[in-house]
Amino acid sequence: MKTKLKAASIILALTGLILAGYFAGCGTRRADMAEKPQQVDQTVARRDGKDVQTKVIVEAGADNGDISVRTEQESKKRADILLKTDESGIPYADKITYPKDWWEIIDKQGRKGEVPVLGDMPIAGKSFKLDSGAYGMGGYGGYGGAMYYDGHGSFLPRGGYGGYGGAGYGGYGEGYGSSYSIDGRYLSKLKSDQKQLGTRGPGYTPRPGPGGPLPIDLRTVSADEIWIIAKSEVAVVARDAETPGCGAMICRPPGQEKEIPLPLKHTDVKGQISGYIATVEVTQEFSNPYDEKIEAVYVFPLPQNAAINEFIMVVGERKIRGIIRERQEAERIYKEARDQGHMASLLTQERPNIFTQKVANIEPGKKIDVNIKYFNTLAYVDGWYEFVFPMVVGPRFNPPGFTDGVGAVARGKAGISGQKTEVQYLKPGERSGHDISLTVDINAGVAIEEAACSNHAISKNAAAPEKLTVKLSPLDSIPNKDFVLRYRVAGRKLKSALVVHRDKRGGFFTLMLYPPANLSSLRRAPMEMIFVLDCSGSMSGKPIAKAKDAIRRALKKLEPDDTFQIIRFSNNASQLGPKPVPVTPENIRRGLKYVDSLKGSGGTQMIEGIKAALDFEHDPHRFRLVSFMTDGYIGNEAQILEAVQERLGESRIFSFGVGSSVNRYLLDRMAKLGRGAVAYIGLDDSAGEVVDLYYDRISHPALTDVTIDWGGMAVTDMYPRHIPDLFVGRPVILTGRFKGEGKTTINITGKVGGHYQDISIPIDLDDSSAAHRGIACVWARKKIEDLANQAIYDQTSDLPDEIKQVALEYGLMSAYTAFVAVDSSRKTAGDHGVTVAVPVPVPEGVRYETTVQN
Amino acid sequence: MKKTALIIAASMCVMVPVLARQPYPEYPTAQPKVRFAPLHIYVDSGERALGAFQFELKAFGGQIKIVGVEGGEHAAFKEPGYYDPAALANDRIIIAAFNTANELPSGRTRIATIHLQITGRVEPEYGLELTVAADADGQEIPAEITFETGEQK
Repeated sequence: MKTKLKAASIILALTGLILAGYFAGCGTRRADMAEKPQQVDQTVARRDGKDVQTKVIVEAGADNGDISVRTEQESKKRADILLKTDESGIPYADKITYPKDWWEIIDKQGRKGEVPVLGDMPIAGKSFKLDSGAYGMGGYGGYGGAMYYDGHGSFLPRGGYGGYGGAGYGGYGEGYGSSYSIDGRYLSKLKSDQKQLGTRGPGYTPRPGPGGPLPIDLRTVSADEIWIIAKSEVAVVARDAETPGCGAMICRPPGQEKEIPLPLKHTDVKGQISGYIATVEVTQEFSNPYDEKIEAVYVFPLPQNAAINEFIMVVGERKIRGIIRERQEAERIYKEARDQGHMASLLTQERPNIFTQKVANIEPGKKIDVNIKYFNTLAYVDGWYEFVFPMVVGPRFNPPGFTDGVGAVARGKAGISGQKTEVQYLKPGERSGHDISLTVDINAGVAIEEAACSNHAISKNAAAPEKLTVKLSPLDSIPNKDFVLRYRVAGRKLKSALVVHRDKRGGFFTLMLYPPANLSSLRRAPMEMIFVLDCSGSMSGKPIAKAKDAIRRALKKLEPDDTFQIIRFSNNASQLGPKPVPVTPENIRRGLKYVDSLKGSGGTQMIEGIKAALDFEHDPHRFRLVSFMTDGYIGNEAQILEAVQERLGESRIFSFGVGSSVNRYLLDRMAKLGRGAVAYIGLDDSAGEVVDLYYDRISHPALTDVTIDWGGMAVTDMYPRHIPDLFVGRPVILTGRFKGEGKTTINITGKVGGHYQDISIPIDLDDSSAAHRGIACVWARKKIEDLANQAIYDQTSDLPDEIKQVALEYGLMSAYTAFVAVDSSRKTAGDHGVTVAVPVPVPEGVRYETTVQN
Repeated sequence: MKKTALIIAASMCVMVPVLARQPYPEYPTAQPKVRFAPLHIYVDSGERALGAFQFELKAFGGQIKIVGVEGGEHAAFKEPGYYDPAALANDRIIIAAFNTANELPSGRTRIATIHLQITGRVEPEYGLELTVAADADGQEIPAEITFETGEQK
């Protein structure tokens, strides 16, 4: 018996050793060429930067594309051969036929690849231009292969691998398929025939892959979204047409959208503008279309400077005013009320411009409305007042390891992003039935010359020259892009305007400070212009096209004494050249060519762009302007703002928000921290016009080192604490507390090109026409913003307590306070029912496939 | 003997895991019970029309938190009154409302319902103080404030 056991043990141990040796051997075996069709394990990087194992089919005789079989020395040598640099420092490559060659280039050129690589790639007798990007795999689940490795050292385009999707991450994001696009001829064909399913390569017939039919969206995808991916066998199995991630999206004829029954039916917005202060009431109408009780959860945007001070829950005819509480306490109250069956609602702030609304115990067939009221100051931009109401939260990118962000997930995929806050998005072809109505009443005090909304259809009705009512057209009621209303008032020479409010707490004021008129007659100093372009997946398509238009226009407007640089970033950053490029016709052409080559794909590692732009060697003889062009779809805003603060130096930041529903909080803050200004380029706006206005602004010196003598006003607690530079066309709004009465004069002094200049503003503190009850809230909101900004850099102090105290005292929403309302009169039957998230459409111009985690 | 030892060992093998899975005995927690209840506030202004009011609510013998302010029964006070957030930050509940419309209530009318979270098993004793009642012109008028508990009125 003992002998038998011994023998068995020895046999087992030997078998183990053999197997271990076998697998170890497998790991080191060289396998340049596959002898027969086989699967090859490969490691690829996802959008979130994590490496994931996948399998790639390699056909007989083919190079398996696995660079791990090359020695380091071989790899380096190969990369040196492949990657060249032209005289201007732009890297390029040609005759790239092997996937492993791409990887060699990636390894040599950048951490995460996606370096700009220009060159021609002869494939099967065709010329394919390698426009950008580097990763040869990854990308869309269900998107279908646009390029197929033929096993003979060439890549061939083919379509119809619905469901294969690169490394098969179920449409996780734009992945690292990056953006090898195909030569002009091929693209033209695709552009002119967008209704075709997939793309067809020479000699290949499109055929559906295991994922089922090709997703509908590929039929409308533009030329810059053709993906080169390896044929993968990752198990993305089609289950049914409704299953996200299977690569089989519902194909519906245009115009026949699938309506998803959801608890949020309608949002009504009523704005009243008096002077430059808006009072806005937002009513969200929740109802329960299901057979059981539900809790509705809705993540939605509001303006980043909204001072929310009222919250009312409406149950039938009854209105219950919500109470401001410390956030955790409000959450506890809500949960207790919900669990006991009471109708209740809770409003919390996730970002200064993102909020979560929860409504508990909505009974089947019943409705509960929530009414939110806020004040905010309007921006005054280049002669136009601007009223903005954001309608949808754009899908954010969160860097690897970050969990405090805002995740973008597909409808029904709660929790998969791992982020603290999640927004669920409707799939293409789905419609929630949620619509929006919006009315804005303007009382400008002086005649309104013109009003326009470039991104929504509106109707206008002027009751008097200084009064105007603007309504969103009922035909344009899908909330998938910001509502931006601009209006211009009579009089080219606007005076700085003071608005005050007094109550038992004391006096509050806001001052809109206009730059002196004569600035526009002075010329600027030579500039060092740095353009930073967000080339992430969310920018692909129209947004990046707009941003590129803007940069092209700006490049052509540079003057001979200027220098420039172009930096792109997505998963990493790269730039046109190693140092500032002098403005010469040849260099401008180079710059334009470089801009043409840029595509949108990959993640949004904005920190890389910030570092590249602000750490860039500064020319002390030139005024440095950094222009960021981005949609701002990131979840780590605090990290970015901290980096801006740390690295700013002598730079001025001008941020350009590009898209239909951009992250205005981030862009505004970057500009403020960067002592510059912000501008927005909507998808229907002319990028050229925006750039012209920008150049008009920076073509004149700013009023810097501004100080104010408040005269008879005893001013305290003013925000911003430091008065920013005044640029032509860009007034600054100051808000603070004051004591004093009667008439006095405010004297402002600033420096223009080494000379001091004074401005005097006579004011009457007792003028009742210059009063607004919202000023106290506006001031408190500014104070909270100021404290929150400090908290980004100083996490050790008791700033959160200070914010909480201000917010509670003024009854305002903040990151540390929340509104809760409970109907204690009645308990609904049963427990609190099912939680239903309200999915939203992706903003217009943003591609679901490139941004939403599925 | 061996047989007995084996039985004991086998029993222990079975019992130990079973015992380990037994939950600890449960005792009532020290957490106070939390519930929600409305308090209906009435003002009787006699024959005078009520245009504005302000009152302060206190509780004795129990812990309350205001979790909602509901409007009253008359159209003039249908909109929920305002609470003073600064006072609330100091644990005081002060509610006020005004209306200058032509149609104003007189006599006894429910001016508000206060939704409360009550902590503890003791029924709190409420104290109401009418700070001021006024007519549409802002003139102070004599009035009496009372409350009722119970479900929806």
